[in-house]
Amino acid sequence: MIWEELNPELIFTNLEAKNTDEVMKIMGTEFIRLGYTKESYVEGLIAREKEFPTGLDVELENLGVAIPHTSVEHVHRTGTAIAVLKNPVTFHVMGGDEDETVQVGIVFMLAVVDPNKHIDKLQRIIALIQDQELLKKMAKAENKDDIIKLIAEKEKEL
Amino acid sequence: MKKRIIVCCGGAVATSTIAANKVVELCKKNGIDVDLCQCRINEIASNLPADLIVPTSKVKQDYGVPLITAMPFISGIGVEKTEKAILKVLKGE
Repeated sequence: MIWEELNPELIFTNLEAKNTDEVMKIMGTEFIRLGYTKESYVEGLIAREKEFPTGLDVELENLGVAIPHTSVEHVHRTGTAIAVLKNPVTFHVMGGDEDETVQVGIVFMLAVVDPNKHIDKLQRIIALIQDQELLKKMAKAENKDDIIKLIAEKEKEL
Repeated sequence: MKKRIIVCCGGAVATSTIAANKVVELCKKNGIDVDLCQCRINEIASNLPADLIVPTSKVKQDYGVPLITAMPFISGIGVEKTEKAILKVLKGE
């Protein structure tokens, strides 16, 4: 289960960020501080997001989702960070044209060591992203516990 | 005949793993025998020939192979249409 492994220190509500780089720095720095990733993680995230953007249009206004991640060489152990943004941040769309953007409201940042070992976990995260009602509830969550509770509830269905 | 599918993303980390799983499930359900190759976008050329390329990132180069983006498997928007398109290519309809 994802919710059982969520580290409250990697959950952010009402996160203020001006742009994608700031999102990467704030969330990525916590990953580094907590020993999940190497010092190079934030740079890795920013570089990778520029080349292969991760914004997803889930057909909710100002509540797009982004799933930034970077190559395994920057990562020590697997983890997930979640941020609900105070104001939407413009991300480029995964697989989209260069001028295609989406207003992102929720970020699921992934630190992945061995994707094939964590296929179940990845699929669970994707199931969260694909649940519009869950995303709407998460956007209104007031604290970290609310986020964890919402995800735990959702995971009961999976 | 076995169909070769290349599923790829920027780093072969997260999204192509999800997409690969979905493609395998879809083919199994439809009785299509597949040889699936998961790689990075910049490794496509060295993994050809293939019957289909399913990327989760933008692929700018034309490899002369049908290409169907797998983003719907991640966002959940437009999954059915993508599945139909994949089956159409693989079944040669």
